[in-house]
Amino acid sequence: MNKSKFKFRFTRRAFAYPYMAFLLLFVVVPLVIILINAFLDEGKLTFANFAEFFSNAGGGLTVLGNSLIIGLVTTLICLAIGYPCAYLLAKYHASNRVLVLLFILPMWVNFLIRTLSTKAIFMSLNVELGMGTVLFGMVYNYLPYMILPLHTTLVSIDHSYIEAAEDLGADRLSVLLKAVIPLSVPGIVSGITMTFIPAISTFAISEILSGSKIYLFGDAINMHFAKTTNSLGVGSVMSLVMLVLVIVANVIVNLTNKEEEVNSVL
Amino acid sequence: MKKYVSVIAVIMLCVFVAMGVAACTPDTVPVDELVVYNWADYIYDYEDDFKEYYKDITGREINVTYVTFDTNETMLTKLVNGDAKVDVVCPSEYAIQKLLESDSLVKLDYFDEAAYTNNMTINDKYTHNSGNVDAHILDKVDATFGNIVTNSGQTVKMSDYFVPYMYGTLGILYNKYEFIANNIYDEQILNKANWGILFNDDGSGNILSEALTGNILMKDSIRDTYAATVFYLKERGLLDGKSTPDGVKYTDLSANQLINQVDDTILDLCREVLTDQKSQLFGYEVDFGKDDLLQGNAFVDLAWSGDALYAVEESWNDDLGEEGDYELAYYVPNGAGNIWFDGWVVPDCCNPDHMNAIKLFINFLNQPRVAAENMLEIGYTSALDPQAVMDDIEARRALAEGYAVYAPELWDDNDNKNPISADDCDYDSWDEFEEYFFAYCDEIDGCNWRYPFLTEQDGNYNRALDTLGVMRDFGDKNHDVVTMWNYARSAGVSALPLLGWTALGVVAIALIVAAAVGVKAIRRKRVVIRSDDK
Repeated sequence: MNKSKFKFRFTRRAFAYPYMAFLLLFVVVPLVIILINAFLDEGKLTFANFAEFFSNAGGGLTVLGNSLIIGLVTTLICLAIGYPCAYLLAKYHASNRVLVLLFILPMWVNFLIRTLSTKAIFMSLNVELGMGTVLFGMVYNYLPYMILPLHTTLVSIDHSYIEAAEDLGADRLSVLLKAVIPLSVPGIVSGITMTFIPAISTFAISEILSGSKIYLFGDAINMHFAKTTNSLGVGSVMSLVMLVLVIVANVIVNLTNKEEEVNSVL
Repeated sequence: MKKYVSVIAVIMLCVFVAMGVAACTPDTVPVDELVVYNWADYIYDYEDDFKEYYKDITGREINVTYVTFDTNETMLTKLVNGDAKVDVVCPSEYAIQKLLESDSLVKLDYFDEAAYTNNMTINDKYTHNSGNVDAHILDKVDATFGNIVTNSGQTVKMSDYFVPYMYGTLGILYNKYEFIANNIYDEQILNKANWGILFNDDGSGNILSEALTGNILMKDSIRDTYAATVFYLKERGLLDGKSTPDGVKYTDLSANQLINQVDDTILDLCREVLTDQKSQLFGYEVDFGKDDLLQGNAFVDLAWSGDALYAVEESWNDDLGEEGDYELAYYVPNGAGNIWFDGWVVPDCCNPDHMNAIKLFINFLNQPRVAAENMLEIGYTSALDPQAVMDDIEARRALAEGYAVYAPELWDDNDNKNPISADDCDYDSWDEFEEYFFAYCDEIDGCNWRYPFLTEQDGNYNRALDTLGVMRDFGDKNHDVVTMWNYARSAGVSALPLLGWTALGVVAIALIVAAAVGVKAIRRKRVVIRSDDK
């Protein structure tokens, strides 16, 4: 019996093998290579790359701090604009799908072309390129990633909850604060991660919309890998830091989502 | 249904005919192979010409596979890892140095005709073109790189291993009419500021012009930036009284030694001036610098001569001056400067069976006509002696056609007809064009932008050879330089104010919401009271 256990059987599971192979080859192997490179300096095993990054010799920590702040602010602005947007879209969803389409439409245009045109508009208006323009570009580019998950969650809220709240005497504001917003927390959380994670690792937007003056974490990693040789080590450390940040963000998302499930079941 | 059948039949017929044609060719003439690895957009449409040349000299067909790269770093990684199976490559000077040091190149001996043509299959139509190469460049190469010691302990000369292709200077592209408007388009002012133009420094620590603040572009490339910064340090006297770790005074170093000098003292100074420079910058650019200058977004850019000449020629404006003028101009700083070149080398991963084709390809590129076509296509200066290009009738025809020169004397009017009429031309005669293309000297920097080594009539170089340095690889200092550059790039930018503003915004929104809730609560209370009254 044991022998047949390892025999290849053409079951549904077989369809997963190519995908597993793909993941192994293009996700796991590169990660391992990054991990190895982070500990290598001129062929020797060392912590020098970590020491260099965390001592801020190349300004790496400053850049990371700036990136985190810009990512945070971008996410907050996206949420502030995106939530009302998604709410209105969800409210008029049945009657007007065209509106939703209009919000997704910019995503169909190549992102570089969009950003270059944004720069051209700023230049023609004589706006000085800098932090403000970068922030604008980030919000403009990542807003759809905030609106879409919010919209999906808001649309899927059972309308009878809202009716029930109204029946029990809640006015409109109370319905929004005590029924709609708590029910849409999963959407808010996934919207935040979908905006925050790309926002802290972006490099093209800051490069184009600040004339490369605002130097973000993505730019720094790009510099270590693409524009120089011999500095893969520090670049790998930076990638690892990025990876840790992404993992932390995902853990937080999972925790909040789990709590939410418990709450909704109760 | 019938329609489909007939369509399929026609397609199959076509396929058979094509296969038949394809199958027949190799039987009649043997086909050789060659794999060329070059920069993107760095050669003219050479393929037909080379095939014809190859057949002429060997009687055989050649099939060329052309692969491109974007940076020396990608190319080096591919070659050193053995990922690329290529026969002939065109790296920059410092990448050639790296390849030589790692024993990755095959010795060519192009400048020794007997050694080069030994073992080659050629007929008597073959002419060796090494004499066309500008001797100044070879002098410069061996003066800079000297004898390179490889990892295996051999001592080699770079000129034995490569054949120069294109070269140029590093300088400053600027908006001439903005400079005129701000009263700084003046030989004395600019020559005093020199490399300081990039730092908006008039040469003595004062601001060159308020109008330049926020309108200067720097290259997002550490090598080019390093060269410009080091020369600026020297000019401003910031290196005075300081010495290298070996105890040599910086002021005693030649241009060549200075840009290849990397140590902690000079890196600290670089970091300082590059950080201070940020307040004057429009930004850093890689690809968009020319466009930003042409569109008037910025007025000054660090640029290579080829890019700069292209941008200058693009910037012709009929409304400027009396009969129209170029809006942009190029400035090669006086005193110390930087020169670069690239050339063809044969990596040891090449296919030895392709050696004949490799050697013929390199020799093909050193024909004056091919050089002229390449200059037209790429915009950089070919490493061929300008006199050899000027003396060749076919090269002159190519240039006359490319630049719309009215020069009927170049065509014999029998087989080849003059394609440019007197009405459509941009230059009225060959002499006028030759003056512009080969002998033009700018009134501000006194330099020939295209041919920095070109001799003047009295036999002197218009640039002293020893003021132009060639940059070597940073070697084991590479890491320190990158760290310095990263630090300079990240310094002076803080997102903290942004955090403050956002906190303010969040507080404001929270206050509004709280107020709304409060108002609602008060109203509800009133309603309750009223209903009690009833």
